[in-house]
Amino acid sequence: MKIDPLDIRDAIFDEVYKTAKKDKNFIFIADDMDAFSLQKFKKDFPNQYINIGVAEQNMIDVASGLAACGKKVCCFGICSYVTTRCFEQIKFSVCSMNLPVTIIGIGAGFSFNFDGPTHSGLIDLAAMRLLPKMTILNPADAKSASSSISIAYNNSTPHYIRLDKGTFPKFYQSKDTQKGFKIIKTLKKQNIITTGFMTYKVAQILEDLGDKANFGLVDIFRIKPINPSFVANVLKKSQTIISIEENSVIGGLGSLISDLINQNSLVTKLKIMGVKDHQFDQFGSREWLLKQSGLDNISIKKTLLKLQND
Amino acid sequence: MQVKSLQKKAAWVRNEVLDAIVKSGKSHIGGTYSATDLLVALYYGKILKFRTDQPKWKDRDRFILSKGHACTALYAIFYDLGMFSKKLYDSYGKDGGLGGQLEVYLPFIDFNTGSIGHSIGVASGMALAAKMNKKKFRVFTIIGDSELYEGSIWESIIFAGIKELNNLVVIVDRNRLMVTEEIGDDGLYKDMKTKIEKFGWNYYEFDGHDFNQILATFQKVAKSDKPNLLIANTIKGKGISFMENNVKWHNAVPSIEEITKAKQELLNEN
Repeated sequence: MKIDPLDIRDAIFDEVYKTAKKDKNFIFIADDMDAFSLQKFKKDFPNQYINIGVAEQNMIDVASGLAACGKKVCCFGICSYVTTRCFEQIKFSVCSMNLPVTIIGIGAGFSFNFDGPTHSGLIDLAAMRLLPKMTILNPADAKSASSSISIAYNNSTPHYIRLDKGTFPKFYQSKDTQKGFKIIKTLKKQNIITTGFMTYKVAQILEDLGDKANFGLVDIFRIKPINPSFVANVLKKSQTIISIEENSVIGGLGSLISDLINQNSLVTKLKIMGVKDHQFDQFGSREWLLKQSGLDNISIKKTLLKLQND
Repeated sequence: MQVKSLQKKAAWVRNEVLDAIVKSGKSHIGGTYSATDLLVALYYGKILKFRTDQPKWKDRDRFILSKGHACTALYAIFYDLGMFSKKLYDSYGKDGGLGGQLEVYLPFIDFNTGSIGHSIGVASGMALAAKMNKKKFRVFTIIGDSELYEGSIWESIIFAGIKELNNLVVIVDRNRLMVTEEIGDDGLYKDMKTKIEKFGWNYYEFDGHDFNQILATFQKVAKSDKPNLLIANTIKGKGISFMENNVKWHNAVPSIEEITKAKQELLNEN
């Protein structure tokens, strides 16, 4: 697959930079987290940048106070800490007030694999899905990453952006990020639904399998609120759905699709593939960690071929 | 308003609170009475800058009653000042009406309440926004004394000190009783002055029922170089002898005999 050389982090922080440049009321707060592409922001807009230290609860409350007085605020940190560690602050100060605070959580899934289970982002989706008013964006490429910022900025409501790192193929064009999902590979009877990093992984797997696999592939960029047309245009047209996510099997993409099938009284079969509900205490490569839940390339290939032949 | 008038107003507010509680059968009377004089001073003592006909006036001082369960006193004040309609005021305790905490859909409410431990952080963000926008407004918050147990408060105290948010005024309603027991001077409150000053704040302590002391302290923080923490020493249930310093009256609803006695005491005070 052709890879876009633009790192997904550079894509998002370049957009952050552009937003700050055009609006001096756009404030960026980091919990002592950095990124290469933030250097220019800090240098050029020191009055719009706060390193608040490792104090996520305060970060969210301060962001809420700023937002209540007319600022648009972007908070940044590791996704496991900027969601569940300060969950009450997000629930109360941001969401109950419906304030324009955007939280960027880096380290989606096992992308910070070397730092161990504490740094894994596996339950953030479930936690953020619980919150009324919260929009959840999970970019799969540089374009959807950069669009996340403009979407959040224009909406002026709470947003959670779940960010990976590295380079990805181009899946989205500017115009189709608003829709919130994209059919990457033409729908068939059996269709795979993915989000974020898994979209790249599964697209690569399907490319490797070639004619041996007969699946459609859909990326969900906006996890919440899901575009209602996703039901008519994807779920109703599918005999079987396989959801694959680098996230807990509880409360994430698979749960979301299960809810939609149930709410719409569909007969679509659903196979949920995600990170098993387990207290991990192991360290290893991202692929090795995924293997523990049957989400490495070889396991996914085996599962898909088995499902296809059943 | 003179001190004598403030005292009368406070007695009137306490009476209104009692009536609201009796009507609705819902109460946080102890902590409401401990904070009543502070609220009266803020709104009638020319401390807070606000316009009674402009709930969203941009230059108003922001105020968060973090111990939002004392809201019935604020409702009475807002009604008295014409900031709440009679219809809204009378809706207390009814389905869909005023409840036991504050929500921003109500006029003159700057932030929701109910979940404690947030207001110093939120108020710090507001105070910082004022500075960024070169605005003169200040940010006030009243917190309960047990609220300082929340860890997030201390993250925010560090932040406000570092940022030198001299337009921030935090008032602690130090009534020395939490929901189930007393909060003494050891542990959390041991050497509080030293702790707070070490974090780069001004620290003041005063009698939270003495309007002379309340107003004098607010005068001191009117021009400040640091964030300000004010320990208002108060009495839970202040104004009604049998409610004072009794944990029962955190949320008890008085009986008919108790109401009669309470009304008589408030009348004498007035």
